[in-house]
Amino acid sequence: MTAFRLENKRLLEVTLQNERVMARAGSMVAYDGQIKFDKSILGGEGLFGALKRRAGGEGMPLMSSSGTGRVYLAENAAEVVVIPLQQERIFIESSSLLAFDDGLRTNTVFAGLRGATSGQGLFTTTLEGYGQVAAISDGTAIQLEVSPHDPLFVDPDAFIGYKGDVRQEFVFDVNWKTFVGQSSGESYQLKFTGQGVVYIQPSERR
Amino acid sequence: MIFNSQTLPANDNVNSYAFCMDVRGEAFIQKGKMIAYYGALRFESVSAGAYDALVRQSFNSPLYANDFVVATGQGKLILGDRGNNIDSYDLEDGNLTVRSANVLGFEPSLVCQESTVPGYLTLLGTGKFLASSNGPVHFIEPPVRVDEDALLGWADMPSPSYRYDYGYMRGMFGMARSFVGGRSSGEEKQLDFTGQGAVLVQSSEMGLVGRSNLDDVIARTSSLQQNELHQLLSVIQQRLQNR
Amino acid sequence: MPEYSLINDKMLSVRIRNEEVFARRGSMIAYTGHVEFAPSSSGSEGMQGTAMRSVTGERMTLMSARGTGEVLYAFYGMHVTMISLRGETFFAESGSLLAYDGRLRSGTVFLGNQGMGGLIRGAATGSGMFTTTLEGSGELAIVSDGDAIALDVTSDRPIFADPQAYVGHRGNLRSDLVTDVGWKTFVGQSSGESYQLKFTGQGTVYIQAAERGGNR
Repeated sequence: MTAFRLENKRLLEVTLQNERVMARAGSMVAYDGQIKFDKSILGGEGLFGALKRRAGGEGMPLMSSSGTGRVYLAENAAEVVVIPLQQERIFIESSSLLAFDDGLRTNTVFAGLRGATSGQGLFTTTLEGYGQVAAISDGTAIQLEVSPHDPLFVDPDAFIGYKGDVRQEFVFDVNWKTFVGQSSGESYQLKFTGQGVVYIQPSERR
Repeated sequence: MIFNSQTLPANDNVNSYAFCMDVRGEAFIQKGKMIAYYGALRFESVSAGAYDALVRQSFNSPLYANDFVVATGQGKLILGDRGNNIDSYDLEDGNLTVRSANVLGFEPSLVCQESTVPGYLTLLGTGKFLASSNGPVHFIEPPVRVDEDALLGWADMPSPSYRYDYGYMRGMFGMARSFVGGRSSGEEKQLDFTGQGAVLVQSSEMGLVGRSNLDDVIARTSSLQQNELHQLLSVIQQRLQNR
Repeated sequence: MPEYSLINDKMLSVRIRNEEVFARRGSMIAYTGHVEFAPSSSGSEGMQGTAMRSVTGERMTLMSARGTGEVLYAFYGMHVTMISLRGETFFAESGSLLAYDGRLRSGTVFLGNQGMGGLIRGAATGSGMFTTTLEGSGELAIVSDGDAIALDVTSDRPIFADPQAYVGHRGNLRSDLVTDVGWKTFVGQSSGESYQLKFTGQGTVYIQAAERGGNR
């Protein structure tokens, strides 16, 4: 497994020993050693993956770095949070993804409809297996527990991802729209029930 | 550290950039700053009329009525502001004036009024309020001169006045740089604070510009004559060209 | 001697007693005491540096603060790092320099040392690889998007840095512009030219956790 280490709150150092790491394109700020770079795309493999990517408007360009050395990754001075996965699955907003172990399986899943009227679908990226995921957070990320007696409501702009046996629902609320205001334009909030952990950032998405 | 509704702090910072309010009853919060909550909370527009008595007592700032909502019910409410630092302030029969875009929330025991300085709100009375800042807040005792862009607010003091640095302006003219329509920097024009109290300074206001300043300008144009509006239009066009 | 101290990670304080300090124009956020400000095009550098800048169109816009008092500096919420020099040279990406004083001599060099061709290309692409040098003994302050990160370079481990993330460097280092590995071209970044800065030798390279011209 590749070694993910935070050089500081905003810079991820990945040490490769004849290994490969996948990272958000353009996120590398420095490297040393013998590293080869290749282009890749997030969102599942094969024809089905491509179809879902098109439907979801996902397909974030990725860069694979392989070889032996250290690569330094950062994005817009956002803080970095490293999330270890132990044969688990994480659902993550692709715009929050910074890097992940090559050994993790990626997929794109249908998360629900954005609005009854628009019918526009929402897709989320999943990563599954044993390895590490690095996410970016504007400000320090917060981990919030969801349990059966403690459902959680989250602004979609602040949502980074979740793991565990968690159900995600879209709640449409007239007051919510008044509350969130014109800036975001989102007329729904996210409701999480079940048992697991939700990651949020103290910011609206840029 | 994984938080839940029990372990989240009550009326304290979760980290430097997020604050958790323990809502029991009502609180005013700035629209769009809620990032998550546990519990049974509802959000009502300040201007909707459902909390008329509360608004009449605590919210004396019609210009900003669309920027705030009333959170009601019981629950833990987390606020964030674009990754900016957040601090809470306890007033005891005091007054503090803060850039309106940075006022994130306040208890109804306080009264919120428009400052005579455009773009600022004054909080009066006893209670807690929240303000965001770009970087930690630095408190300075007067006499001090502050760049308007970095000013967050001031406490227990008369309003500031402008002071121009003529030496700096002469130097600029000497270098044949044009002032016309250009934005003046903090080196040539500062806000001058004198007297007793404290000035709150942040590292920059950039990225914190809310709609309130624009609303303020728009509201003031309603009293202008036709020829004055034409004058304003030509100034705006000149500014746009100089950008 | 001007006294430098950090108020917090985004704010610098410089106390002067009948002294002068140079800082990036627009970075003064507050002051106490009797201080006068004046624009300065060159700080404490000689004519050659000024001429070089006018050739390349790169202006380092400075202002001086002179008098007795405390001046606070900050720049658009960027992080501030203080650096002490003892008879050495610090290379600072021009946009990263926040403040210094007359104890340090300033100059300009082209990073990459690729002769006139490299110089013209750097100027044409506006990649800003003209670097301000500060030499002597004293303090200076730099700004970076997120805290500045110091990476050690040793003779057996050269380091490659994204020019958009490069903040500065010190020590006995050689810098080259390298274009062979297109880490930017294939990902379709709008940044245009895809080259890296390669540092070899013994010293420290400072980078920031963001690219200049990003969406912040």
